[in-house]
Amino acid sequence: MFDDKKDDIFLSRWINGELTKEELIAFKSHPEYEHYVKIMAGADALYLKEYNEEKALIALKSKRSSTSKKSGAVIKLWPYVAAAASIAIILGLFLFSSNQTFTSSYGEQLAITLPDGSEMILNAKSKASFNKNNWEGSRSITLEGEAYFKVKKGSKFTVITENGEVSVLGTQFNVYAQDAFFEVHCFEGKVSVVNNKYQEILTAGKAFRDLDNTTPESWTIKAQQPSWITNSSTFRSIPLQYVFNELEKQYNIKIQSPSIDLKTIYTGTFPNNNKKVALRTVFGTLGFEYSLSPDGKTVVLEK
Amino acid sequence: MSDDKNATCNEQAFDQFFKSHAKLLRNYIYYKFGDMQQAEDIVQDTFIKLWNNCSNVTLDKAKSYVYTVATNLGISVVRHQKVKFKYKDYIINRRNDTNNESPEFIAIEKEYMEQLKSAIAALPERQREVFLLSRIDKKTYKEIAELSGVSVKAIEKLMHKALVALRKKIGNV
Repeated sequence: MFDDKKDDIFLSRWINGELTKEELIAFKSHPEYEHYVKIMAGADALYLKEYNEEKALIALKSKRSSTSKKSGAVIKLWPYVAAAASIAIILGLFLFSSNQTFTSSYGEQLAITLPDGSEMILNAKSKASFNKNNWEGSRSITLEGEAYFKVKKGSKFTVITENGEVSVLGTQFNVYAQDAFFEVHCFEGKVSVVNNKYQEILTAGKAFRDLDNTTPESWTIKAQQPSWITNSSTFRSIPLQYVFNELEKQYNIKIQSPSIDLKTIYTGTFPNNNKKVALRTVFGTLGFEYSLSPDGKTVVLEK
Repeated sequence: MSDDKNATCNEQAFDQFFKSHAKLLRNYIYYKFGDMQQAEDIVQDTFIKLWNNCSNVTLDKAKSYVYTVATNLGISVVRHQKVKFKYKDYIINRRNDTNNESPEFIAIEKEYMEQLKSAIAALPERQREVFLLSRIDKKTYKEIAELSGVSVKAIEKLMHKALVALRKKIGNV
């Protein structure tokens, strides 16, 4: 009757007084009946430690006001304070400091006309800043990444990078400065490249490079402007690491190449506006197999 | 009930809600997790949460909200410790059973009550919860089913199982 799979709610029905007359009579004559009656009588004689709702509510309220309200207020105030502060900072930057900074993102180019009409074009993932107010006094730009300059004739024009300074009188040139790689192409006029190790004067059609652990070298170029202006990246005898860096910058990807010697020297070109072709061109010519992650953000290379 | 949406934020409405639901919630959490002190702390934290979220929880949703929050708090506390159901000092024998609810009233010895309580403590959590909500809080199967979000049939099965288990545990005294 009680372990019966067919009536697995028999006792529940009994407690609720839902048994039929016949069922109840049969149950009452069952030897187990009095045991269940006793359990029920015992259970109904149980009660629980009192709960003082008034007291609990008072305790709740004191805890509520001492902890939560305070933090709630702080959280609500913060956005306003932060917003006010950032407005003040932005205003301050515009009004009191005239340093202007331009940053290009992955795969982006940014053309900037400087106060004297000179032009600067930033390649992907690069950053340049200059002092607007003092531009007449000293034409100098701080650069991280790569940029192409068309400089109007005038006073000395200087590009300051971590790897060295490039200064000119009026010319067109390209500077690449990233990590330990420093390369300058002069397309028109004359530029001088200086740092504590060397001083080099580049005339039109000359290029100069300083790569870590190698002696600085200069060579002749035929191009009239850097290749990236026309959406391609060109490399001449460069460790693979920098080619991968450029791919990552142009296409906002991460290249995972655990088993590949990044010091391998590479010469070649890839487009900056067609990821598929670019990857195929670079990895194909090197004989690497590669696979792109589903979100298109990671490339895994295998030899 | 025009501004029912924010009624939970109304101090009086909140107090009223607390008074009508806190006790049963405390008992429910106690039956589930076995520690009365902890259950009362959980109830407090739960209602603080409700107050902080009062603008997002309408009064008609508040009941299921507190049950969900309290159960989750209980689970997160209990996960780290194996709690034995504590009944001493919490479950008490009615002193003078003057209200003879069951017609077949029988005198019950003290030892039997102790045995019964320890048998209840040994029940699986769900059976104990249903059994005590029914016996101590006098909740109907329907009300219990609503609290724990299952069918009445499921509650009836648990109740039946609980009784069979208690009977086996107590034996022939």
